[in-house]
Amino acid sequence: MSHHDVVVVGTGLAGLTAAVRLAEDGARVLVLAKGVGATHLSAGTIDVLGYAPERVDRPAEALGALVDARPGHPYALVGAGGVAAAVDWFKARIAAGPLAPYAYAGGVEENLLLPTAVGVARPSAVVPETMAGGDLRRDAAICIVGFRALKDFHPALAADMLTRAGVRARGVELDLVPEGRVDVNALGFARAFDAPAFRAEVKAQVVAQLGVEERAAFPAVLGIADPHGAWTELEHGLGRAVFEIPTLPPSVPGMRVHKSLHETLRRAGGRVILNAVVTGAEHRGGHVSALRIRVGLREERRGADWVVLATGGLASGGIELDSRWKARETALGLPVTGVPEPGAERFRPGYFEDHPMARAGVAVDHGLRPVDGGGERLYENVLVAGATLAGAEPWREKCGDGLSLSTGYRAAELVLAASTAAGAAAGVAGS
Amino acid sequence: MTAHDGHDVLGDLMRASLDHCVKCTICETFCPVSNVTPLFPGPKYAGPQAERFRIDDEPSPDASLDYCSGCGICTQVCPQGVHIAEINTRARAQLKATQGVRLRDRILARPTLAGRLGTPVAPIANWSLGNRLLRLAAEKTLGIHHRAPMPRFAGRTFQRWARRHSAPAAAGRRVAFFHGCGTNYYEPRLGEMTVGLLEHNGLAVEVPKQDCCGLPLQSNGLFDDARGYVHRLAARLAPYAREGVDIVATSTSCSLMLKREALEILGMSDDPDLQVVSERVFDICEYLLAMRERGELKLDFQPLPETVTYHAPCQQQGHGIGKPALDLLALIPELRTIETGASCCGVAGTYGLKREKYDIAMKVGDGLFAEIAAAAPDRAVCDSETCRWQIEHATGVRAVHPVEVLHRASGLA
Amino acid sequence: MPTLQAELLVIGGGATGAGVAWDAALRGFDVVLVDRADLAEGTSGRFHGLLHSGGRYVVKDPVAAKECVAENAILRRVIPDCIEDTGGLFVTTPDDDPAYGDRFLAGCRACSLPAEEIDVAEALRREPRLNPGIRRAFLVPDASIDAWKTVWSLARGASAHGARILPYHRVIDLHREEDAVTGARVRNEHTGEELDIEAGFTINASGAWAAQIAHMAGIEGVGVIPGKGIMIAMNHRLVNTVINRCTMPADGDILVPIRTVSVIGTTDSRSADPDEIPVTQAEVDQMLDDGERLVPGFREARALRVWAGVRPLFQDEKAGAVADTRDVSRTHAVVDHRERDGVAGLLTMSGGKLTTLRLMAQDIVDAMCAQLGAERPCRTHAERPPGNEDGEPYSLGSRLRRREATLQDEQLICECELIGRSRLEQAMRRRGTTDLDDIRRSMRLGMGPCQGGFCIYRATGILHGVGRLDGAEASASLHGFLEERWKGVWPILYGDQLRQARLDDWIFQGLLDVEHLPDGELAA
Repeated sequence: MSHHDVVVVGTGLAGLTAAVRLAEDGARVLVLAKGVGATHLSAGTIDVLGYAPERVDRPAEALGALVDARPGHPYALVGAGGVAAAVDWFKARIAAGPLAPYAYAGGVEENLLLPTAVGVARPSAVVPETMAGGDLRRDAAICIVGFRALKDFHPALAADMLTRAGVRARGVELDLVPEGRVDVNALGFARAFDAPAFRAEVKAQVVAQLGVEERAAFPAVLGIADPHGAWTELEHGLGRAVFEIPTLPPSVPGMRVHKSLHETLRRAGGRVILNAVVTGAEHRGGHVSALRIRVGLREERRGADWVVLATGGLASGGIELDSRWKARETALGLPVTGVPEPGAERFRPGYFEDHPMARAGVAVDHGLRPVDGGGERLYENVLVAGATLAGAEPWREKCGDGLSLSTGYRAAELVLAASTAAGAAAGVAGS
Repeated sequence: MTAHDGHDVLGDLMRASLDHCVKCTICETFCPVSNVTPLFPGPKYAGPQAERFRIDDEPSPDASLDYCSGCGICTQVCPQGVHIAEINTRARAQLKATQGVRLRDRILARPTLAGRLGTPVAPIANWSLGNRLLRLAAEKTLGIHHRAPMPRFAGRTFQRWARRHSAPAAAGRRVAFFHGCGTNYYEPRLGEMTVGLLEHNGLAVEVPKQDCCGLPLQSNGLFDDARGYVHRLAARLAPYAREGVDIVATSTSCSLMLKREALEILGMSDDPDLQVVSERVFDICEYLLAMRERGELKLDFQPLPETVTYHAPCQQQGHGIGKPALDLLALIPELRTIETGASCCGVAGTYGLKREKYDIAMKVGDGLFAEIAAAAPDRAVCDSETCRWQIEHATGVRAVHPVEVLHRASGLA
Repeated sequence: MPTLQAELLVIGGGATGAGVAWDAALRGFDVVLVDRADLAEGTSGRFHGLLHSGGRYVVKDPVAAKECVAENAILRRVIPDCIEDTGGLFVTTPDDDPAYGDRFLAGCRACSLPAEEIDVAEALRREPRLNPGIRRAFLVPDASIDAWKTVWSLARGASAHGARILPYHRVIDLHREEDAVTGARVRNEHTGEELDIEAGFTINASGAWAAQIAHMAGIEGVGVIPGKGIMIAMNHRLVNTVINRCTMPADGDILVPIRTVSVIGTTDSRSADPDEIPVTQAEVDQMLDDGERLVPGFREARALRVWAGVRPLFQDEKAGAVADTRDVSRTHAVVDHRERDGVAGLLTMSGGKLTTLRLMAQDIVDAMCAQLGAERPCRTHAERPPGNEDGEPYSLGSRLRRREATLQDEQLICECELIGRSRLEQAMRRRGTTDLDDIRRSMRLGMGPCQGGFCIYRATGILHGVGRLDGAEASASLHGFLEERWKGVWPILYGDQLRQARLDDWIFQGLLDVEHLPDGELAA
């Protein structure tokens, strides 16, 4: 049985953040995951807090009020300061990562308003530099450029919706197809944009169609190997602000996050094993000594001093509800709170209504350690981070990325602090 | 076999895993083949999506399925637990069952047959493989691409060496070595080094008589024949497993077959021999690293002041054991190991040898070849034989199994 | 007020109405068909998809059984493209009385239904997921039938013979002159415009809503009992043969493989209002338990959506109250309002089932001809409506086969149901609709596992272009689709489908922020 200082379960934003933060401080880290995490699905922005429930313009300020009003919200575990620290850390890691000088802009003080692929102004706090130019608080007309071969982005639709919201916008669709393929996903286009020849062709086709005052928007496919290069080249070539709008998954900006953190983890000596399904823990009392994992058809054990659980929520399979309406946390079998009793209403008949089950998840103490229904701590060396946590509605509140980042970061900080304390204690005892 | 024995229950689970697909497209972004050619519509499409339009035991109408290389990356990256590659492999077999399997695929699928025929006449066979005219003729008649990296016969077999090899007297715990066809006919040196390395670390190595694991047959859709091979191989290895002897393997794809694929894809979970064998099979690096963790590995490696690249082959990644070779190589002083980021070399067993797929395979491997070229290493390290042959073919860099590096660093060369 | 003239007004665009329009148009009548919503949006589009062999009725309702035997054979001939020849099995589960099998076989013989008892082992070989505890198995010629395709095919056939098909035209009043119905006033549900239809004859084919229509002509007491049934579609083909429990008809005793899914059905309970048919958790649980009885592990399989339909069971008030809707005959009857109520020019179709839709149409058009004194024989047993010309039966792999042929030429929009861009654009143009939900029904867009998670945005973008929608219309269509989709999934959100629903939320709320679409609330 192998032994690591920390085993992180899950490779989404929360898991990778915790793993990188720990590994860069010298911890031996093993990441176990069923597969690649949900960064591939996210917009690539770090949405800290967008609605609570009214639109939030200044997230750092709003966080305080949110936590006061809803002490069960996971942001209460990290606080505004914790979010800011995590954001600073994240921005620094991306800027120093394998995609550098690709970097993030913004901060927790104020939200930008970025157009979505249906032309809604979505509040985001920390965004790729390639998206920042789309801030709708700035009054400048927008020409949204799309590609017919990219079915996951419809410029005219987005432009029309923006127009209704009072933004001067119009859509243009190019018939440019990478390698003559009619059906290319966002990643295919991103690869095409990595090639200077394709960028030049796009530039040539677009430049004549742009009005003097217009900003130019593109689907978020401006390169996967060198997004900074592709973006700056377009800005210079077109002589104006250029920005990306997220597409349907697969999300290229999300993949950039994955690539950056994954590579940073590797450089820091962290290890990742995919296809490893955690099926339980071996523990003595409240102390977990090893995780049981299923690899293929075999069961193995992996020892750890600490476990960070970041397997995601209902969308990622970290939490499940079975057909007898019982919920469970899938890796360690932790209790799930916020699930109505069998027979009680879990969802409401209207899609946009409030759903009773929306905030289900694992409850934790202030050290992110899982607790049972009575608030009793279950394990002393297991920390929970990300969408597994109960108490938030990440998508409606537009806070999923902020939560994953800040709780993942917080989990790592807690482990490091405890290890340092333990190390110091051991040092004292040994002297 | 009744309808409700292990075979169908497991087979059912695999098909049922399509229920877990939420269309997230993560598999698509990682598929090495669909990212370079539109001929393969991608794992999500060919797997869980198309499967809903298939009736068990009826041929699938999507011939494009045959462009799947079977590398298995889709299954590895799927965050929802869909057995994508396995669904594809089974559907492909169903397709071939009706279309018929080409002579070429039947030949490529039987490495032991080729090995037995080629070994005694190795000089001629190897000359033929190197002869451009003959290769062009083979491409025309058989459909094996004339530039495909076909292995060279060693002219001797590892089994023969093993029979004559006498173990050191003071050997301890027993271990059985499953070397596979590649080692036996093409790379007997690798087998010798493996035995040397294990003995160096105090193990008593036994080499059971063994034949092909059936994987090439499975990849080429010949499931019934594949089952026969697995069954026979498992019968040879089972006595060791039953005695509590671990089985180590140098071929990551062949060991994966015994660990997992034969049970899942061929539906052989009811084979009692295979059941015990699959529990006891270890990849050699996995095994050595476990020894290291138990404090059983000798750590007095000699410095190797050179640079190597390390590429973890797809089938190795299918083991779900991470990259133990990296941790082992890191034990060697002064060795500089560069881990490559690209996922696949393209060859995927016999896929890249085929006339219609050779170019795709080379394109798949482009990223890896470029990384290796940029690193200009002394050697390219890789666990799988067909990948090594592909890497050598594409880059001209000598490609070796991690065991070879460890063997040298142990002062055994 | 604009006016339309027709020889025959058909009220109701379900299987019955479309069948009547097709039948009458073939006989040379000038037909107008109206429906308050889309074609097949009511009962027809909400059934389990079983084309009865008749086996279900042989013991209890031999008249209905015999009709099924005959009509099953005719429909296979005239609308082959709408039917998949799955075959059917009647199985005796451990909870059923094996002796019923003998009554069943005797009933089949009496109704000339070709049924054959097969070995349990043979049945399990054919359907390996079936409960291994079954004790007897009988093979019958059940099949599955696509109701949307059927209704649209008949409607298009009628159109080709001059009929005018007007979906989204709600009847707001029936015109009555003296003792005759002479047409109706209808309202275009999209524009609000009203229209008078002057018709020599009116056929009320509105199924569970027949009493409401008759009431507009001052006719009371047309006893329609809305019999509610719920059904759940499972994500893939758990079986490839229709599975029936070999017992007296009961709840949850049919599992129908139709298209890419398997449908478990159904319940049967009296419903006061055909427009108020909520699905309860108890009903969902009951269906899942019933499914478990037929296919062990059913509860672990993925449920895609649930819905309820209302059968138009007929009960004449004179016959006295019937407590259990299941005891009401499944045969149909033509209500002659001249005879019954002294009102000429109006016939109501009552009862019946999709399997006998052709016979129902024939009977009621015959009755009309008799009243009109016209001698025009029925031709529907010998004519194939559009889409069925080649006589090829439907097979599950057909969309995959078609997709394979266009793999390099066309974008795939709905990945679950394999709908390409050109077919989608064609359908949008042909329908001329601004509402994606219409496209959903006619093409099964967004009805696969992801429930539109990926294709709704794409389709909205395309519809925005093709249909020249403005922002408000696109927004309304998107919201409408999301709400419709949600109705079918929220009661069965557990396991894989809950995961999917949360991922869809991620896309719609997290990525697109559809909650804040401009004018989004207009859609509600």
